[in-house]
Amino acid sequence: MQNRRRFLTTALAAATAPCLTWADIGAPGYLAAAREPDGTFALHGLSGRSKPLFRIPLPGRGHAAAAHPRIAEAVAFARRPGAFALVIDCATGQIIRRLTAPAGHHFYGHGAYIAGGDILCTTENHIDSGTGRIGLWSRSRGYLRVGSFASGGIGPHDILRLDDDVLAVANGGIRTHPAHGRDKLNLDTMRPNLSYLSADGALVEQLELAPELHHASIRHLASGPDGTLAFAMQWQGDPAEPAPLLGLHRRGEAAVLAQVDLADAIAMQGYAGSVAFDGSGAFVAITSPRGGRVQVFDRAGRLVSVQRRADACGIATNRDGGFLMTDGLGGTWSLTDRQMHATGKSNLAWDNHLVAVS
Amino acid sequence: MRLAPVFALAAMIPAAALAGPAEVVEAHILPGTAAFSQATDALAKSAGADCRAVALRAPWNAAFDAWLGIGHLAFGPIEADGRALGIAFWPDTRGLVQKTVAALIANQDPAANDPEEFAQVSVAGRGLFAMERLLYDPALADYAEDDYRCGLVRAIATDLARTGAGIDTEWREDHAQRLQTAGAPGNDTYLSADEATQTLYTALLTGLEFTADQRLGRPMGSAERPRPNRAEARRSGRSLRNVTLSLTALQELAQTLSDAPTPRTDAAFAEALAAAERPDPVFADVTTVQGRLRVEALQQRVRAISDAVQQEIGPALGVRAGFNSADGD
Repeated sequence: MQNRRRFLTTALAAATAPCLTWADIGAPGYLAAAREPDGTFALHGLSGRSKPLFRIPLPGRGHAAAAHPRIAEAVAFARRPGAFALVIDCATGQIIRRLTAPAGHHFYGHGAYIAGGDILCTTENHIDSGTGRIGLWSRSRGYLRVGSFASGGIGPHDILRLDDDVLAVANGGIRTHPAHGRDKLNLDTMRPNLSYLSADGALVEQLELAPELHHASIRHLASGPDGTLAFAMQWQGDPAEPAPLLGLHRRGEAAVLAQVDLADAIAMQGYAGSVAFDGSGAFVAITSPRGGRVQVFDRAGRLVSVQRRADACGIATNRDGGFLMTDGLGGTWSLTDRQMHATGKSNLAWDNHLVAVS
Repeated sequence: MRLAPVFALAAMIPAAALAGPAEVVEAHILPGTAAFSQATDALAKSAGADCRAVALRAPWNAAFDAWLGIGHLAFGPIEADGRALGIAFWPDTRGLVQKTVAALIANQDPAANDPEEFAQVSVAGRGLFAMERLLYDPALADYAEDDYRCGLVRAIATDLARTGAGIDTEWREDHAQRLQTAGAPGNDTYLSADEATQTLYTALLTGLEFTADQRLGRPMGSAERPRPNRAEARRSGRSLRNVTLSLTALQELAQTLSDAPTPRTDAAFAEALAAAERPDPVFADVTTVQGRLRVEALQQRVRAISDAVQQEIGPALGVRAGFNSADGD
């Protein structure tokens, strides 16, 4: 009986979850969604040097992906308001689970694993109240929905796991309703924040910027060495205004907002699409597809270089040093704090984010 | 089917020998950068000879006219080092041109004596709009040869001429080649032939959008709150002229970029340019129902050009608007 039960458990686990690790499938360095030349969409695995490794079709336009910390498994999110989140076995290309947000909720496009990879956390909108939620899904139970808690604000977008399973959540502050598509319903009153939540949902720290910056929607996150978190913003005020788009924060301290001169500020058109630290942790970069620029800063928030590339958006840490970047024209790029060079070009349109596989 | 005969006629005209990026460079960009360089050089020479406002309004207007021939080429040399903003800092939602010019004057800032140093002054204190203040603002324009403002006007004119020459040189000696060798090994600016076409196509659409949303949309404001004081270059009376000249330049870009006849786009440009004959020169009457309707009609015609371009030119060239820039998250 005992043996039989164990056998069943093992068989069930094998049927529901792949056992191959990222290393087993060629150690992809990155995941990125793209539009294919024929107009369909797919999730791609890229090597550490941004060479294509695998391609898995998606039913619609993707946004970001969450990579399991060890197993070759990833969750691909639709762009908001998210109709789907798909758990993909990256070894076989099979979709092994289709996650559906509970009634009255939708996904915002990002997720993160905690509990050693057993719990997937997803950013969600509780549609009626407009409050942000973090959904919890148990991988060992076949991605069963096992709970949720408040995100600490409205419009939670990016979410990161930090040390000790603390979650950093970018509450963008913008209320949306699926009945109004992507319309922003509360720009006058929006109050974005960066929330730190424990794994059981307790709000352990919250950062809000000065009232005059309440139009700076905190959207995307990157974690660097010694507990520094970088947050990228999207300005909801007049796009012709010079607005801060990058902040650096350490728990218990005030945020440092990146400073740039007027021309460099306006060139980004009030929009940062992605943020990442470089391989050394000494530099942090934001991309602006609208401005066609990548700005690289040091840890004190000082601008050290600007690279120009149309539709630049996805950016991630290159563990060999520097950054890797993708753009909507199909280019992949290697960047340092001083220069940029192309590492590849395809006829794909790379989507917003380049996600590093840990 | 008013357009049918035009279409049939156009279809019989043989395709131009040159088309695409090569023709755009030869027939549109290089003549434009040369004209802007010459016009800003003439402005600097005029300022050197006589810095008074009354003497400089004509060459300043000529330089602004020339800028509208290339201002939509927001990539490559024009976008390098904040040049475009250093030439034309607008929209200026926070009144930074006024503040920066006032501070330069109040401090008698010695940067005006040194071109290298003046090139480091905030973009809001340089370029065509800073100079417009000095030439047209009644509180500032009445200065004599020995005034600080005389030196400031000369510094701005010199800076414009340096920028104009730099843009023309970089286009001629470097970027024209890059654009025409898109996809060649070693070309890290344009990774495929498509990218050159895509860049020019994006410039065309972005230019149309800027005219519709900013040049026309800003003074229109909302129906409840029209904003005539937000019209571009209203002090010099150029608001509508800027729309017309910009459309003319964008029309030239569309025609040189496209390989095939573009009857729909041509008709849309013609209708917009006709509609541009009706509004007030500085949109001062957007506060009235009739005045607002005239500007709104023009805005709709400009947006109709974008639609025509996206339906006619984009598919023919096999390009479309940026994937992430058009709809980010």
